Amino acid sequence: MTAPNPDQAGDDPEERDSGLARERTSLSWTRTAIAFAAVGGTVLKENLATGLIILVIAPVIWQLGRVSRRAIPGADGGPPAMAEVSATRLFFITVSIVGVALLCLILVILGRSAPGALR
Amino acid sequence: MSWTTRLAALLPATVDRDAGGTEPDPRFTFANERTFLAWSRTALALVVAGLAIVQLLPPFPGVPAGRHLLGMPLIALGAVLAVAAYAEWVRNQRALRRGEPMPVSIMPWILAATITGIAIIAAVVLLLSALR
Repeated sequence: MTAPNPDQAGDDPEERDSGLARERTSLSWTRTAIAFAAVGGTVLKENLATGLIILVIAPVIWQLGRVSRRAIPGADGGPPAMAEVSATRLFFITVSIVGVALLCLILVILGRSAPGALR
Repeated sequence: MSWTTRLAALLPATVDRDAGGTEPDPRFTFANERTFLAWSRTALALVVAGLAIVQLLPPFPGVPAGRHLLGMPLIALGAVLAVAAYAEWVRNQRALRRGEPMPVSIMPWILAATITGIAIIAAVVLLLSALR
């Protein structure tokens, strides 16, 4: 894969300003945090404690999306590699989703359901 | 390669240690991260859909376990997709760093196959329910 040549900027605004890619990624993090909040809100109706646990994850994810790698000291004193920062943040999201899925499975198996709520 | 070795290779510290190559163009890294986040939201949507099926749908007459049969695989698929999305991100990032061709993604196949399976189960459950 070849990296874009900054001297040959095309009509694509992103080619002229890579900050747009950062902004789109930041918005993507915000949407993910909102998705967690929506799941938490849904579970809240079924089980208060479980819903609150999931709701707490939402602001953590929103904050993770705002972490700048310059703010984290690397092994050599400079900023760490982008992959290292991303891997830690994305690993947290993965563990969170697996945890949420397990909690939901436990709720579905053991919890009291309200069948027919859509009837 | 054993499953434990494969899982250990996904840990953030291992990812950094095995990264190799050079730091790619940030736009590619951001795009890879956005793809992971999009898959994560898909996984969360599946979990909520599974929960909603069990908690909100009325029971299927004659098929008491029908709602669980439809909802629980969706929740499990959400968890599987989340792990697969992370593994995919690691593979893509490694390819970007080393200037290798991007690996083929199996995630659309997993999603399509499972949803097709659940659609077939839903059709059978509805049919059994209607015949009662």
